[in-house]
Amino acid sequence: MAELAMGIDLGTSYSAVALVIDGKPTVIPNEWGERTQASVVCFLGPSEVLVGNAAKRNIITHAENTVYSAKRLIGRYFFSEEVKKAQGVMPYRIVEGGNNAVRIEVPNGQYSLPEISAFVLREMKAVVEAYVGQPVIKAVITVPAYFNDNQRQATKDAGRIAGLDVLRIVNEPTAAALAYGFGRDLKQKVVIYDLGGGTFDVSILEIGDGVFEVLSTAGDTYLGGDDFDDRIMTWLADGFQQRTGLDLRQNRYCLQMLKEGAENAKIEVGRNGIAAINLPAICQDPDGKVLDLTESLDIDKFNGMVMDLVQRTFKVCDEALQSARMTPHDIDAVILVGGPTRLPIIRTSVQHYFQKEPVMGIDPDEVVSLGAAIQADALLQVGSRNTLLDVTPLTLRIGTVSGYTEKIIDKNTPIPIERGKAFTTSRDGQERVKIRVYQGEDNRAEGCELLGEFEFSGFRIGLRGEVKIEVTFEIDSNGIVNVSATDTETGQKTSTTLSLSSGLSEADIQAAAARNQATQLAGRAA
Amino acid sequence: MEIEFANEAETLAQLLDQLDYFQVLKLELNATPPQIKEAFHRESRAYHPDRYNALPDSPLKANVNRIYKRVTEAYVILRDDLSRKKYLEDINGPDRASKLRFTPADEQEAREKRKKAQAEQIGTTVKGRQLYQQALKDLEQEKPEAAMRNLKMAQTFEPANQLFKDKLAELDAAARAAAKTKGHGQT
Repeated sequence: MAELAMGIDLGTSYSAVALVIDGKPTVIPNEWGERTQASVVCFLGPSEVLVGNAAKRNIITHAENTVYSAKRLIGRYFFSEEVKKAQGVMPYRIVEGGNNAVRIEVPNGQYSLPEISAFVLREMKAVVEAYVGQPVIKAVITVPAYFNDNQRQATKDAGRIAGLDVLRIVNEPTAAALAYGFGRDLKQKVVIYDLGGGTFDVSILEIGDGVFEVLSTAGDTYLGGDDFDDRIMTWLADGFQQRTGLDLRQNRYCLQMLKEGAENAKIEVGRNGIAAINLPAICQDPDGKVLDLTESLDIDKFNGMVMDLVQRTFKVCDEALQSARMTPHDIDAVILVGGPTRLPIIRTSVQHYFQKEPVMGIDPDEVVSLGAAIQADALLQVGSRNTLLDVTPLTLRIGTVSGYTEKIIDKNTPIPIERGKAFTTSRDGQERVKIRVYQGEDNRAEGCELLGEFEFSGFRIGLRGEVKIEVTFEIDSNGIVNVSATDTETGQKTSTTLSLSSGLSEADIQAAAARNQATQLAGRAA
Repeated sequence: MEIEFANEAETLAQLLDQLDYFQVLKLELNATPPQIKEAFHRESRAYHPDRYNALPDSPLKANVNRIYKRVTEAYVILRDDLSRKKYLEDINGPDRASKLRFTPADEQEAREKRKKAQAEQIGTTVKGRQLYQQALKDLEQEKPEAAMRNLKMAQTFEPANQLFKDKLAELDAAARAAAKTKGHGQT
């Protein structure tokens, strides 16, 4: 068989993997015919993990050693809002690692977030290898378009830890557009409305003559289907507390039952217009009496609960359209991506906003992995038919005096790109120049995400103002930032060290990869 | 064909630092926005690094990477009216050789220039702005003499403001025309 490269949609809740086989993009099911796998990792023992839909069934019974929604935490600092929020609702322990990093503590050890995601990726690799009967190590992995550099780098690290050769990190909506336009001679402006489990992205693309140009992208990495579940959970828990005086949220076991009940209710109400919620023996009252929770949720009630969340997505759409200098009227096709877009309230609201019926016949759970597979396949060949022109979602900045920042590369700038900036020394005999690099839309550093502090040394030593170094900021095709510097006069590259970053060092990655390989995936041959 | 392309890329990569953005995108200086976009797509089809990703590391791959990053840079600057205007001034000026690449500092300068122009539209001093607004009100109420007085006062605060100058000239012309018609009526 010819060389293969897989496309992996590494989702917050579910992941999917696809290959191009004989020119046809195909989702690869696991041995039980399941086409999506839960992004859940259950630690069974010191050297065995269970990953996927089987692991998901363990969330309630093995709450402390079952990790889910890791994507919400990957590439974030320990002090971030998202991490604080997760500590309140996740049954597994979230602790602080070195350099403000986040670690997950399970009974037999601590793991970084890239290590957790690496187990999901390894399972996807195993699914592919079982299907084709040969090793496959090359992969394209997708991320939300609005992911920042830290999150992209951490996802790439996860791939390496899993033993994958990561050809490219591709944006999820861009992958979806590629799958939509594959093998068709289109000339269209399309919008991708991608509501996933934990993130929301909108991208606007112009497709024509084999070129897929992203014109703008906007997103919210704190908005997803999970938030819809939360609304149902809150409603159920509040109602139960009113009736019984007991708060189900205080107990992690009850909380998981609620979460599962809420997720199922959301799917059922979307499909049938009404959901019967029945959670028998969810808890005991102080007298030891076993209590059940039964409720009925109709579509109007549900729509009312989530209306503000739906409205928030259109603020993001406004932003994307504005950046692309367009109105909804300019859009030729609307493509829905992500499981939550199956909900009738999303479909009708999107149709109303864009004045256009979303494209039918696209599976919102599979389209991203198909696009990733198409891109993976294209990267194996010299001179493929399609050219993907993507952009950076966030403005790249450097810190200046008193907490302010200065723009280096604007958001929605096509990538790969590099921009240079000259710095001069400010003291006589200065040996080092330090620069803090940020991403975000705020003029102030505190409103942006810190990517790291770069320190340059090894340039000529001279009087203040005499030594000039040229710093180059590069954003590569993965959307990952690289910073380097040269002594302007000698043209010599200076040495660069990165500190204050939440990421893993090369040694960390090697050690993590070794530990990953030493861990057995349950139910799979070693 | 492949060797030909490799040679072409080699030559272009070596020349890159001597080319302006119009030359990088193979465009005339008066190219329209659709032409700029078309050029970006055309050069992307030729030089996008994805097309050569499968090749082993080679001079060709390095050249293509270098060229393509300059292509995106050229596109980003030329598609923005403000940056393009300043860039055109720069490359047609005496410092052309050092101005072939438009830096974030140049961008900042262009933005500040626009800000200043916009501020001048409404006046850069509080007094100047107030007097100009008053003059506009006077005109609405058909009191051209009062408007003229206020504009002249505004000018004492901002002698260089082009907007004030233009408006004053306009009023002056109108006043003279009115005087003429009046004169006609009398004779």
